[in-house]
Amino acid sequence: MSPDSAPARRRGAGIAWGLVGPVLLLLVAFNVFPLVYNVVLSFTSRELVGDDWRWVGGANYERVFTDPLFAGALRRTALFVLCAVGAELVLGFVLALALVRGFRGKGAVLAVVLVPMMLSPAVMGLFGALVLNGNYGVLNQILGGLGLPQPQWLSDRGLKFWSVVLIDVWMWTPFMTLIALAGLSSIPAQVHEAAAIDRASRWRVFTRITLPMTAPLLGLAVLLRATDALKQFDLVMATTGPNDAATQTLSTLLYQVVFRDGKVGLGAAFACVVLVVVIALATVFTRYLEHLRRAREA
Amino acid sequence: MRALRWIVIVLGLLFSGLPLVWMGLSSIKQRADAISQHPRWIPAAEAPVAPDSPRFEATTSAFRDLASVHAGAQASFWEHLLNSAIIGFFSTLATVALGTLCAYGFSRFRVPGEKDWLFFVLSTRFMPPLAVVVPVLLMYRAFDLQGTRLGLVVLYTVFNLSLAVWLMKGFLDEIPRAFEEAAVVDGYTRFGALVRVVLPEARTGIAVTAVFCLISAWNEYGFAMTLNSSGAVTVPAYFAGLQGNIEGMPWPQVAAGALVFVAPIVAFTVLVRSHLLRGVTFGTVKQ
Amino acid sequence: MKLTALATTLFLAASAALLTACGDDPAKSAGADGSAPQRLVVWWFQWAPADGLQELGREFQKESGIEVVVEQIPLGSYQEKVFLEFGAGRTRFDIVIGDSQWIGRGATKGLYLELTDWLPTVVDLATIHPRAAKYLCEYPEGSGKWFAAPCETDAVGLAYRKDWFEDPAEQAAFQARFGRALQVPGTWQEFAEVAEFFQRPDAKRFGCSLPSDRSYDGLTMGVQNLLWAFGGRWHAETSNRVVGELDTPESAAAIEFYKRLVKLGPKGAERLDYGQVLESFTNGSTAMILNYFAFFPGIHAQFGDRVGFAVVPAHAGRRVASLGGQGLSISTKTPPAQQELAKKFIAWFLQRRVQEQWITKPAGFTANADILASAEFRAKTPYNAPFAESVDTMRDFWNVPVFNELLSVTQRYVGMAVDGELPTEEALKQLAIEKERILKDAGLL
Repeated sequence: MSPDSAPARRRGAGIAWGLVGPVLLLLVAFNVFPLVYNVVLSFTSRELVGDDWRWVGGANYERVFTDPLFAGALRRTALFVLCAVGAELVLGFVLALALVRGFRGKGAVLAVVLVPMMLSPAVMGLFGALVLNGNYGVLNQILGGLGLPQPQWLSDRGLKFWSVVLIDVWMWTPFMTLIALAGLSSIPAQVHEAAAIDRASRWRVFTRITLPMTAPLLGLAVLLRATDALKQFDLVMATTGPNDAATQTLSTLLYQVVFRDGKVGLGAAFACVVLVVVIALATVFTRYLEHLRRAREA
Repeated sequence: MRALRWIVIVLGLLFSGLPLVWMGLSSIKQRADAISQHPRWIPAAEAPVAPDSPRFEATTSAFRDLASVHAGAQASFWEHLLNSAIIGFFSTLATVALGTLCAYGFSRFRVPGEKDWLFFVLSTRFMPPLAVVVPVLLMYRAFDLQGTRLGLVVLYTVFNLSLAVWLMKGFLDEIPRAFEEAAVVDGYTRFGALVRVVLPEARTGIAVTAVFCLISAWNEYGFAMTLNSSGAVTVPAYFAGLQGNIEGMPWPQVAAGALVFVAPIVAFTVLVRSHLLRGVTFGTVKQ
Repeated sequence: MKLTALATTLFLAASAALLTACGDDPAKSAGADGSAPQRLVVWWFQWAPADGLQELGREFQKESGIEVVVEQIPLGSYQEKVFLEFGAGRTRFDIVIGDSQWIGRGATKGLYLELTDWLPTVVDLATIHPRAAKYLCEYPEGSGKWFAAPCETDAVGLAYRKDWFEDPAEQAAFQARFGRALQVPGTWQEFAEVAEFFQRPDAKRFGCSLPSDRSYDGLTMGVQNLLWAFGGRWHAETSNRVVGELDTPESAAAIEFYKRLVKLGPKGAERLDYGQVLESFTNGSTAMILNYFAFFPGIHAQFGDRVGFAVVPAHAGRRVASLGGQGLSISTKTPPAQQELAKKFIAWFLQRRVQEQWITKPAGFTANADILASAEFRAKTPYNAPFAESVDTMRDFWNVPVFNELLSVTQRYVGMAVDGELPTEEALKQLAIEKERILKDAGLL
């Protein structure tokens, strides 16, 4: 950020509020208001249809904290974030390492590799269900052709969760590649040359130079992806539906509770608990961003 | 090492590209071929005689069928695409306009608590749609906005503001203040300077911001399916809504529609390819 | 700058196109005001009977001048869409053909217009098959309070490949392996054996497929045919008690048997929705399917004499078919003038002559007891006789207002048992406790 030298900056607080005010008002209206409304709803027995509701005190929260369903969805979502983002990080970074040096056709390769992250997760989830279909899916047809076993991707209880992870990894590995590439290409060539003069082994160069120098950016990428993966909804809806015990995430459980069971009050209580987690993560994220900025300015 | 590098590149290409190729192939099949128990991957002019042949008869019928109303839907694909386009376009327009003004305010003026406000703006991005959809739904019922294009336009506008403000602030910070000051000295008003000097300078930034807001509105599903399940249905909600259809999923149409649906996004992405990184990191990383 | 010029051009072109498109956005209102033509909107999910109802609607329009539009919604999201409409101030439909389980919610939340006083004035209630009345129209069951008029009466039945069953080579092979003739299975044990016999994955030929989807109600509707036949039950005969009623060895045996059956189908048969079950049959790969009768006319049209139809198998002399079908309910959230139109249509639809037409439409099945009992009806198609027989044995899942919570946990726990994630006895035990909690919370226990 540039230092506060311009005199214009000191003038016209009125204009300033006029410029930023509408946006802040809108954001408050659409974010803070729902938060407060959610809290109010969470103490009621309100349902999706019908007007007969009453105050139920902390009953909804009691249910949230005692029902294994909520704990299960929380655990599953955490596992999803951990595994999907972890796999994307590793694969994306490896791919970026391979792509960092220039070669003919790099632009075209990069274009193909980056396409999946631009697509609609809801539509790609559906398509994933076609590709992964146990009977006529192309993946199993290929595996069968190679004489390999053909797992039941979306109906085997041990596998279906991982199939959703797989589709997510397909979609979001490019994101990691993109950011890792930026980190890798920002390492000055002299650093590598110096290391070559020191006759440092490849491994040492990697662990002592490449990794530390790309780590801040990768951290940012992980945070961005993690907050997204935490919302996981589209892919689960498209592959196994919102009520499958093996794949139910926080968002799909919320959907089931609110839109299928019609339990708006209970859903609100659950959403409040989720939001506390999300806000905590958002705080960590913004702190990290600030830290990153400072480090770059230094 | 060289060999390893190429193996990784080829694997990466296959991993990303093959599903897309399959989607392309599926879009020129008939439904029976798309879900055939024998793999069919070679397009041919005529239907093969042998039942286990890898060939299938290529047809453009799936693309033609996009114009007709499929069983279980009330409108054709094109009408849903029009919904997506109108909602995407107007929400992008509003987001970019509001976001640019707001970013200009943060960039050029002293706003009390600026840092806190900026982080508040950013934090709204982390809200899972499903966690706030109930209050929004009840609010929309009160204003009769459920199932309308306007409802989603407003929602996506608000939803994307954080991205627009952060991206635009980065771009505006890069434009030297001396430009505007010179313009003001030349007799422009502040607003005149903004319109005549700053905005033209920021046009790349505006284009990049618009593309990223459009992509996000275009692909959104959580709000679209819960708020607009029966009226002004967008494409992701339309396709996902065909699930559980007794006739089964019309896979070739889904594939054809998905190709049409992603084409503008891919085109726009190519246009802003050199700013891709900036777009996905909220403007915090510049190439 | 080329990029900007291109982007600007695209942007301007897009704006022009969209503004034009916005301009002629058709106002889609149901047109309730006097001057507009009268139009009745009916919502049903996407399947063949809805096409049949639309055809009848055109006849109604000829007679009355009132246009009837049957909008078909995919089953996967039908429930959510309908109840989201009910939550809004006004529904897009005037009549909803709601799934049988919804009636408790519709009745107690004031969403369905009560028809108790009006219905007897247009139809002799005695002509409505008692099971259809009990499960499709009344809430609480058998209370005499009507919230729907019967539309589609449906039950689960069996469709099989007659040509395979009658193939002499197959018959000889079956005789050699099981020591009895290859016949349409009358018991679940026989059903499993025949399925096992036809299960040949290498030849892409499969034994059987049953509804097993986890998203809405498929698995439950598939399992309960066995559950009841094996002597299990969802709840006590005269109360809503579940613990000690559902978690019995009989229920566990039924689910264990079901687990065996899903292995005798195409790959992925652990989760097939109704459409996918149908597809496994219509693609010619599967010997037998269990599905709703409403799908069978379509199968018959495609396969002709190569298929046969039967009632669901029995166990120890008990045979119970899972109920399907839906009633016509009038939305309370549509203007009174539209409700009057809806009543006119329902009154017209329930007439004997129209019901006789209804059964000739694609997959139209009546609740009219006289028609069902007539020899003429039973002889008309190969599926009518087993259908009429099934109606006498059909039963339904819960239809209390909290049915969906009960359905959610049932789908989840039975799903875990079928997948082997929990031992069956354990899953049933936990399911029973969960259900009692839900019923207690709702004040039903």
